[in-house]
Amino acid sequence: MKTGNIFQKIFRRQIMIPLAAFLLLAIFNLVADPSFYKITLGYNSAGNPVLSGYLITILDYGSELAILAIGMTLVTAASGGQDISVGAAIAISGSMLLRCLCGADTRSENLNMPIICAFLISMVVAGLFGAFNGVLVAYFKIQPMVATLILFTAGRSIAAWINNNELPIVNDQSFAIYGGFIPGIPIPMPFFIAVIVMIITWLILKFTNLGLYVQSVGINEKSSRLNGLNPELLKVLTFVLLGVCVSVAALIKTSRLMTINYSVIAKDIEMDAILAVALGGNALSGGKFNIPASILGAYVIQFLTTTLYKFNVSSDALSAYKAVVVILLVVFSSESVRGWIGGLFKKSVAVKAGKEAKS
Amino acid sequence: MILSFSSCKKEVKEEKTEPETDNLIVVGFSQLGAESDWRAANTESMKSVFTEKNGYRLIFDDAQQKQANQITSVRNFIQQEVDYIVIAPVTEKGWDTVLKEAKDANIPVIIVDRRVDVSDESLFTCWVGSDFELEGKKMAEWLYRFTAEHDIAPEDVHIANIQGTIGATAQIGRTNGLRWAVEEYGFDLLAEVPGEFTKARGYEAMESLLADYPDINVVYCENDNEAFGAIEACEAVGRIVGTDIQNGEIMILSFDGVKEEALTDVLEGKIACIGECNPLHGPRVESLIARLEADQSISKYTYVDEEIFSADESIESLLIDNTVYNVIRLTPEYVEERMELFNVGSYTNTNQSQDAY
Amino acid sequence: MKKKLMNMSDTNLLLTITIVVFVVMYLCAIIFEGKGFLKPQTFFNILNANAALIILSCGLSLVMITGSIDISVGGITALVSMCCAVYLDYHGGSVFGSVMIALGIGLAFGLFQGLLIAYLDIQPFIVTLAGMFFARGMTTIVHTNPFNVENEAFVALKETRIIVPGMGSYNKNGTYVNAYVEIGVIVALLVVAIMFVLLRKTRQGRAFYAVGGNGQSALMLGINVKRTKFIAHLICGILAGIGGYVYFLHVGSGAASHASGAEMNAIASSIIGGTMLTGGVGNIIGTLFGVLSLSTIQNIVSSAGLDQAWWTGITIAAMLCLFLVIQSVVMARKKKMTKK
Repeated sequence: MKTGNIFQKIFRRQIMIPLAAFLLLAIFNLVADPSFYKITLGYNSAGNPVLSGYLITILDYGSELAILAIGMTLVTAASGGQDISVGAAIAISGSMLLRCLCGADTRSENLNMPIICAFLISMVVAGLFGAFNGVLVAYFKIQPMVATLILFTAGRSIAAWINNNELPIVNDQSFAIYGGFIPGIPIPMPFFIAVIVMIITWLILKFTNLGLYVQSVGINEKSSRLNGLNPELLKVLTFVLLGVCVSVAALIKTSRLMTINYSVIAKDIEMDAILAVALGGNALSGGKFNIPASILGAYVIQFLTTTLYKFNVSSDALSAYKAVVVILLVVFSSESVRGWIGGLFKKSVAVKAGKEAKS
Repeated sequence: MILSFSSCKKEVKEEKTEPETDNLIVVGFSQLGAESDWRAANTESMKSVFTEKNGYRLIFDDAQQKQANQITSVRNFIQQEVDYIVIAPVTEKGWDTVLKEAKDANIPVIIVDRRVDVSDESLFTCWVGSDFELEGKKMAEWLYRFTAEHDIAPEDVHIANIQGTIGATAQIGRTNGLRWAVEEYGFDLLAEVPGEFTKARGYEAMESLLADYPDINVVYCENDNEAFGAIEACEAVGRIVGTDIQNGEIMILSFDGVKEEALTDVLEGKIACIGECNPLHGPRVESLIARLEADQSISKYTYVDEEIFSADESIESLLIDNTVYNVIRLTPEYVEERMELFNVGSYTNTNQSQDAY
Repeated sequence: MKKKLMNMSDTNLLLTITIVVFVVMYLCAIIFEGKGFLKPQTFFNILNANAALIILSCGLSLVMITGSIDISVGGITALVSMCCAVYLDYHGGSVFGSVMIALGIGLAFGLFQGLLIAYLDIQPFIVTLAGMFFARGMTTIVHTNPFNVENEAFVALKETRIIVPGMGSYNKNGTYVNAYVEIGVIVALLVVAIMFVLLRKTRQGRAFYAVGGNGQSALMLGINVKRTKFIAHLICGILAGIGGYVYFLHVGSGAASHASGAEMNAIASSIIGGTMLTGGVGNIIGTLFGVLSLSTIQNIVSSAGLDQAWWTGITIAAMLCLFLVIQSVVMARKKKMTKK
């Protein structure tokens, strides 16, 4: 009886869900093809050491997803819905960033302004669009997924409009490090950026009551209002924070290619970000949340994506496999299925106990 | 740029207040999309020629890669009774019905770039574009001559083809050109993977090619944007792009040569050779329309003369089907000259909108 | 009783706004864009190109009235087109068989999604998001490259035109051209009529409104909430199958990129047509006008020669935003009235 309790306790821990998925994938790859874990040290064209291999790819591409997952977790917790416009918002933020860097001349050799200024401007823009979503959700009481549908529809068009439908190209190599490598360090830069964002988030949650407030708004808006909180403002705040995360992801994305393609950049990333939150075991209907679990969830998603790529699944067909994973996840985490399985479990325990008592 | 942008807005407004300006020739242009630099230059060329100053009103429609959108916009053109319809078709098949409607409405249709595959050739007036198979053959012939010159056996040339959008005339032609050479000379063709003419897909394709085929030494990209992606993917894992394929370098071959970056890459040796694909169809279409207006005869198919560029000096000319094609040796001066040619279009456009302002 | 009356007035208010917007927009188009829009055929072309969207939007309006949502319809459309195209051209299939495939796919999606949403109580957005990605992914797995169908019987059906008497016009040459609609339009109008009757005249129809308006009180009225939600999603799935086939009939090809964004257009059309996202309010006739308004905007944007394709996206989003805010205001007004 006691062992069962400990068992249950371990399984109750939220972080177990992504961890289990992670282990499952890891073992699968180990059995299917151990060369998956091979990491090689090479030199890139500039003569700097770089690591390469599937694991590095996961670390690299999973990082931008992890950053988005942080913001998405907060939005989910506060408003009980998800933002489906993050991909479009990345296009806007990235477009703004390049517009600032390149100025009017899309092929200029020099940077128009320091990267940090351009980044801050793009962050403000992404924050404003986040606030727009937030206001629609909080003050106009529109369901988050529908409110963000507006930006989802218009976002890529706005991104194209910012640069007059031209494709600016950054020629300054100092911009490349954010999506690439710092000279001398063989680990991809996006990973360090993600770590910085994680530390900042941790500090904010540690030293402010934001986490608690967000949770209480998500659990019961009315009672949180009675306790002197301003649920509307808090909801808008989470959307703005997601906007900030979006601008960081946009920096990494545009830095990778040194240019932008409005219709393709960060396509379907909203699906991955929502999936990361769900895989992290967070309730998609809001309330309690666990950011480390979401971050782990994001890396697991990237693990899955990279595994599928390795088995030559084309990027178009990828979504079908992911969809199956989502469905399995939500089915097994749904109340009624859990109750049903729990019932089965109890029954077998009861039967056992009965047998023991008899003997 | 900001000035021209704001003035553009003004122009639109003016059009709305006086919708009918007589004796302008109205041209409806259905462009298939804006996927590559070549396409952007092509659109720009059309827009800079068909201006009110030159006596035209252009109705431009971007179909975003969908034939259904193109058919809808052509039907719109017919309803608006435009004088000429210009189509840059996204695929070759499925045009019979709508072209028949245009013919019934007595509106001449000019096809540019890719071809249409229709049962009755009289459904369209004429076609202007490139001979893509010849482009491919020229490139493959250059590769053969180059490898022969450096004593590399054809079976040691391990080629991967990053294809364009499957079904597009350029993709079919360029792929066939390469396949012809593989048959003829015995190159080792490792794989043909789709790259959709975009940088992102080119990068993705190259990434997996490098993982799957370590001995790859020649990458045949069916346009420059794919080549940009492929180069980056190579550099990201520390492979060097260049012509010294005996010593582990990867040779990049590409088409279009529209963007300055592509030509500079040739000068820097990153791209070994570029088959030109000329996007400046605007003036050609305009001269065809002028001939039609004057009731002069026109030829059904107009091929564009195209060059092949390389920074390598060893091969000066190619012989294909008894015709000699010179290889242009790229120099910084040549690149500059060529870029000026492309910029003419956008400059006239700016002037135009300033007039309106 | 009073609540029902108020619901009715909301529905009618939103419907009126939609129709007025559409009429004003079409008049503007005639004034500014000239002769093209005066011809009936321009209007029929809009119908021809958007018949599939009308059907998809009807399905969406239904699930939205019950307070749920479905964003998989665009994906289903693409999957239906591709499966039918492959069946017709590579397996020598018949037109009848392809219709059955379309219905089967729609039914399967409707059943599965309905089960998960209604009986397992999983958020509809997540279920149908997964449905959308699954359908899109499956489309490329079925066949990667786009191609046009050449099956003769199918092409003949695709080319069939129904002449609308008395609506033709003279073209430049002075010859009279008959106005026509495609078969899809007839199917779409039939669907609208059936859905209208279902929602307005039947017990089941009232159940949809009741569940969307207030699940708790619907339960007290003795309505099986779960079953009603399930039926709504089932019908939406079947309509997506039919809509998918009508789309396929219009374009005559299979491609993974088909109907991209159709789910968003369908949701937007329903909202513009006066269906409330919160459920309980909506009208199929409004949905029809929603689709027409949306496609007229697109038509105006392209005829005006506003070259950049991004204009369409921005105008649609602006309109969507406007209507959402109107709905929000209407809701607030209603709340105030109930308080009084």
